[in-house]
Amino acid sequence: MKLLVTGASGFLGRHIVAQAVRRGHTVRAQVRPVSKIEELGWEENPNVEVERCDLRSKVGLDDLVRGCDAVISNAACKAGDFYTQFAGTVITTENVLNAMAEVGVKRLVAVSTFSVYGFMKMRDGALLDENAPLDDDPMDRDEYAQTKLEQEALAHRFAKEHDGKVTVVRPGVVYGKDNTWTARIGAELGADKCMVIGGGTILPLTYVENCAEAIVVCAEEDKAIGQIYNIVDDNLPTHRGYIKALNKHRKPKMKTRPMSWKLWRFVSAFGLFVNKVFLGRQAKVPSILRPAALHARCKPAKYTNAKLNELGWTQQVDLEEALKRSFEDKDYAALNEKAETHPQDTTEAKTNIDQNNETRTCA
Amino acid sequence: MKSAVIGTGEISAEHLGYLAKSTAINLVGVCDLSRAAAEYAAKSFGAAKAYMDYKQMLDEAKPDVVHVLTPPQTHVPISMDCLDAGAHVICEKPITLGHSEFVKLYEHAKSKNKCLVEDHNYRFNRPILEIERLRKDGVLGEVMEVDVRMALKIRDGGRFADRNLPNPAHKLPAGVIHDFITHLTYLALNFIPDPDKVSAAWTNHGNDDLFKYDDLDAILIAGEKHARIRFSCRTAPDVFAVTVRGTKGEVQTDLFHPFMRLLKPRVGGSKLSPVTNQFANGAQLMSSSFKTLWNKLMQRTPYEGLHRFLDQTYDALKREVQPPVTFEDMDRTSRVIDQMLAEENRA
Repeated sequence: MKLLVTGASGFLGRHIVAQAVRRGHTVRAQVRPVSKIEELGWEENPNVEVERCDLRSKVGLDDLVRGCDAVISNAACKAGDFYTQFAGTVITTENVLNAMAEVGVKRLVAVSTFSVYGFMKMRDGALLDENAPLDDDPMDRDEYAQTKLEQEALAHRFAKEHDGKVTVVRPGVVYGKDNTWTARIGAELGADKCMVIGGGTILPLTYVENCAEAIVVCAEEDKAIGQIYNIVDDNLPTHRGYIKALNKHRKPKMKTRPMSWKLWRFVSAFGLFVNKVFLGRQAKVPSILRPAALHARCKPAKYTNAKLNELGWTQQVDLEEALKRSFEDKDYAALNEKAETHPQDTTEAKTNIDQNNETRTCA
Repeated sequence: MKSAVIGTGEISAEHLGYLAKSTAINLVGVCDLSRAAAEYAAKSFGAAKAYMDYKQMLDEAKPDVVHVLTPPQTHVPISMDCLDAGAHVICEKPITLGHSEFVKLYEHAKSKNKCLVEDHNYRFNRPILEIERLRKDGVLGEVMEVDVRMALKIRDGGRFADRNLPNPAHKLPAGVIHDFITHLTYLALNFIPDPDKVSAAWTNHGNDDLFKYDDLDAILIAGEKHARIRFSCRTAPDVFAVTVRGTKGEVQTDLFHPFMRLLKPRVGGSKLSPVTNQFANGAQLMSSSFKTLWNKLMQRTPYEGLHRFLDQTYDALKREVQPPVTFEDMDRTSRVIDQMLAEENRA
């Protein structure tokens, strides 16, 4: 298959491109105009063509999509204010889907997130699978959850209005090299210390290579069309267990301060009470003190990857190996055959590096 | 009154927030080129319908007032169409890219018997209203000098530093600074209205191809009165400082983190006044720090004046009287910006 991967220079995007090529596909990798392509690790691979453009603009997107069998919509923005994230997550996706409708590309794998689920209404310890309800009142959540919900809604609308063949994937916490901390554990108390909320709570992890492969499997399988898949690894650790496994590799070790989930849940509920009764719910407090955000981060739940396994995906890298790889110098997304030769110019758009591996700039 | 909004960028949250809260206003439509953005804004602020074509919205929803919140380059054609459709226009700054365009647009509004109002929101912020009161009460004496200074680290990140998709403001005649210059100018002219000499130095100290200018130093002189307008992206912290000096006293504020420092003759005569001023201002500064903390907690932003500006504008439209931002306010602001942008001022 020829796959378009948007947001290809990101943490997950680089691995999606690598896994797709390893599984025998050719990839058109969309990166932003000033991304440093020599750091991608596969920019010289003959099965990858790098396309530079900004998805917030419609310019050139028909050409970006044309000729692809499927689009893996992975571009999103996690930082900045609401309007920055809305542009980087929702407008980008809308523009890509409009281009797909225009050109006639139907197959879409939309990369969503666990953040879209409505954790507040779940009971402690419940099973969070693909049938769990979405958050229907996200205004107390962060910008990321709000914009990802809108983004996912666009994918469903594409299926309905344009007869799109859509698969939605919802990864849990994606971790790997340079991304081994997650706010789901609790709160950072400096560089090497953290508060662990609910040490026995299961952490819905997915190692970046495992997650990327699962996404590519979803693009390959017709059975996945019209389906939603949660992506988590096997044998998920608890918060406490993850820190323990992490500390075998991390230097210096992460020091922990335990905090009871029930106690902190009470603290945040009391904060909400004060905000509602005395401050008209106008006060802006840190997310860890807002029940809606706290529940989305730390609530005890059970997770499953049974549906993904039925599709034919199996985990390749376990927690121990994943953490080992996360602290190695080796880049597991690298596919370059001539890795030692890097382009000198890192900022300018390049054209026609060679016939099979072209880097183009959208018109 | 039926209102509609065109453009759902960052500033729209303030306009839509005001319209959603007002019981006297019926928000009949929100329009954006992006369907997702228009629908999200309509859903979040309770608009009757989302549109992607503003002409369709004008035809169908027939608003009495339209808020034009699109990039400045589009203000003239969109405002013209709104006026032709029989709506008053409240337009974000800068209302036009030059003074001659403004005059034509205003004449058009006048010919249609409709109001055209540019957003001069900071004039309605509490500290500026307080300085106005001090002037009117004679506490400052006759105003002789005004300093309006904005420092923003626009090169260090954020929407103006994004090289992937450069912000449309980079294409304005004064580049990104043009997006702020209206605020700085109407605040200076609020206290020294009719300068007869305008000089300015526009520079790009960063020497790159993204920013046209990143620094402005302008002087406006009206007889013996002086105003200085500064924009800088190289000093810290971010400030929007306004200082007004009169023949009797001086007052200083920062609109981003409001406080008031007032130097005036106090009890004890000229010898003790410096001391009593420091005691009085020390207490005032302590009180301001608690207010700033409270404002942060309660999510109150420097846009507090925008709601007051809209309140007074809608009240004027309802009573069919002159809006709080008059033709003269907009005319001289636009004219002085043109003078600052004269070719000889651009380094």
